[in-house]
Amino acid sequence: MTLSKDQLLQRYEDMVLIRRFEEEVEKYSKKGTIPGFIHLGIGQEATQAGIAASLKETDYKFPDHRGHGIILLSSHPEDRKRVMAEIFGKRTGLNGGRGGSMHVNDLKVRDMGNNAIQGSTVVTALGTAFASVYNHTDDVTAISMGDGTLGEGTCHESMNMAATWKLPILYCLINNHYAISTRYTETHPQSQLAEWAQGYCVPGEVVDGNDIEAVIEATGRAVQRAREGGGPTLLEYMTYRWQGHFSGDPAAYRPAGELESWKEKDPIKRAREKLMDAHGVAESEIQAVHDRVDAEVESYVQFSLESPDPDPAYATAHVYADIEVEGR
Amino acid sequence: MSRTITFSKALNEALHQEMERDEKVFVIGEDVAKMGGDFGITSGIWVKWPDRAFDTALSEAAIVGLSCGAAVCGLRPVAELMFADFIGVCYDQIVNNAAKLCYMYEGKASAQMVVRAVTGGGIRCAYHHSQCVEPWLMNVPGLVVVAPATPYEAKGLLVSSIRSNNPVVFLEHKGLYNQKGEVPEELYSLPLYQANVERSGKDLTIVAAMTMVNFARRAAEELAKEGVECEIINPRTLFPLDKETIVSSVAKTGRLVIVQEGPKFMGYGAEIGSLVSEDVFEYLKAPVKRVTSLGTPIPFAPVLEDEVLPHYDDVLKACREAMAF
Ligand SMILES: Cc1ncc(C[n+]2csc(CCOP(=O)(O)OP(=O)(O)O)c2C)c(N)n1
Ligand SMILES: [Mg+2]
Repeated sequence: MTLSKDQLLQRYEDMVLIRRFEEEVEKYSKKGTIPGFIHLGIGQEATQAGIAASLKETDYKFPDHRGHGIILLSSHPEDRKRVMAEIFGKRTGLNGGRGGSMHVNDLKVRDMGNNAIQGSTVVTALGTAFASVYNHTDDVTAISMGDGTLGEGTCHESMNMAATWKLPILYCLINNHYAISTRYTETHPQSQLAEWAQGYCVPGEVVDGNDIEAVIEATGRAVQRAREGGGPTLLEYMTYRWQGHFSGDPAAYRPAGELESWKEKDPIKRAREKLMDAHGVAESEIQAVHDRVDAEVESYVQFSLESPDPDPAYATAHVYADIEVEGR
Repeated sequence: MSRTITFSKALNEALHQEMERDEKVFVIGEDVAKMGGDFGITSGIWVKWPDRAFDTALSEAAIVGLSCGAAVCGLRPVAELMFADFIGVCYDQIVNNAAKLCYMYEGKASAQMVVRAVTGGGIRCAYHHSQCVEPWLMNVPGLVVVAPATPYEAKGLLVSSIRSNNPVVFLEHKGLYNQKGEVPEELYSLPLYQANVERSGKDLTIVAAMTMVNFARRAAEELAKEGVECEIINPRTLFPLDKETIVSSVAKTGRLVIVQEGPKFMGYGAEIGSLVSEDVFEYLKAPVKRVTSLGTPIPFAPVLEDEVLPHYDDVLKACREAMAF
């Protein structure tokens, strides 16, 4: 599929936004301003931007621990600074600073939240898809999971049930080749994990995860199929994370030259080349995107830095739906 | 010969030395082989014994399930759960399988295995990486829950856990990994099911485990200046618990403060309080006090997490109240 010039330019901007967002998050994580573990999606922007662009606001989204990008693009533009503020642990964060990088959610856009127990939401996704069918809506559910996470039994219980009941789910398997230090080929028998799809009698596709147009094409097909009652699809996006598993991981387990070869396949660079070579987009237009995004992300950072810490008393709110728990 | 090393190094040494001694011991888990574990505890093992260290996919149920099966065949698995919170994923294998096998096989075989699990809060990683899981396990007959507080205990207790014929959940508090202490170079073991009296005193008993022992020590120093002599008891094995040491200490001091990370309700503090009131009620000079976390999931932002976790000042306050009663 080829996107129109304007569409591609828009997706280009989405990817640049993710990258600049992640670069700032990395910077403040390394400085210690952002607490906790941070898993960055740099290098994987095409999967995140492509998945987000293929869904509508009422579709259910379950991003993963590396899914800042999907979270960001799913949120309303005025809320994007609050995604960053959440990662900073601030009162103005989307979740009041109680969740942080691994637990951001925004129910108003049906971002059901990422979750730090890998594989956990893969079965939760059955429920949102089930509810769509039960309530006769055509909303689909998109669940992100990594190559390592596919080792969890929950992934397989989920695919089995969704396939049997033809639930509207997209299994977005983001294969970045590693689970922390372990290559997926050391922990799975297949050379492509999409092969699982055959066993579950659902379509499975291997997608070039660094080609935004390929991602949108394959994801769009799966969305349409799910919306029309055709059941789930397993999409395996082949990509690579440039950073270590978490910000600060030196990633000594990678063979020499591997990262460099993937940087050649940088999804942003590829989209830019396409824009300039095939669509005749001028350098200045590209620059304008970068300038806009830089200013935008800078405003998120300023907002996050200036925002107050949460009120300590907020720690005890919402443990139960109806009763209070004891505070200090 | 003894020297000063970190808690993590002590654990690593225990694994190396015990694997050297007993070829039935192997390690399994996520990133435990080539990388040597997320926290480096299994570092160097794969290099020495490439066929006794196994990296898996994210598959906690399979890791613990495989360990149960292998244990019954006479091997001694040491499985790693990168974070104790992931016990949720393999809870069935721990509770319904490992804990029941000795009973089921009438003692002819048992789950002689260790599940090492990284526990506790304080690293700003919110509710899926910070929980104190011990009460999830301490109501399950057949399980052993071990919780070292110092590098010396880490090494000695890990060795005895590996040698034990019971399924041991070995809790490593992430807040202790960098703590340093004296540890003998040679292989040794410390007894399971035995509490340690960290400090003797006649006025007040403080029971504390893992990082909370540090709070207890600090409080004891502070209170000593006020002329109060605290006795600190570190259970080392949380379950089955060494009741005797605790109860006889309280019979001597008449006052008890329990410091426990994790919510108050149904924490081990509740059990210890009941034991004391059952066995030595007549010796009590003050109500039993508990210092614990608040009853909430662990939030992310530092100000919120600090609000929830136990406060050192509350330990002092509880001790002073017990003395003043
Ligand atoms: C149940 C569970 N097991 C283990 C972990 C620790 N952990 C977090 S991310 C991760 C690796 C995930 O690899 P993959 O699924 O390939 O995703 P990626 O990090 O590559 O995006 C591991 C082992 C966890 N959070 N939850
Ligand atoms: Mg991966």
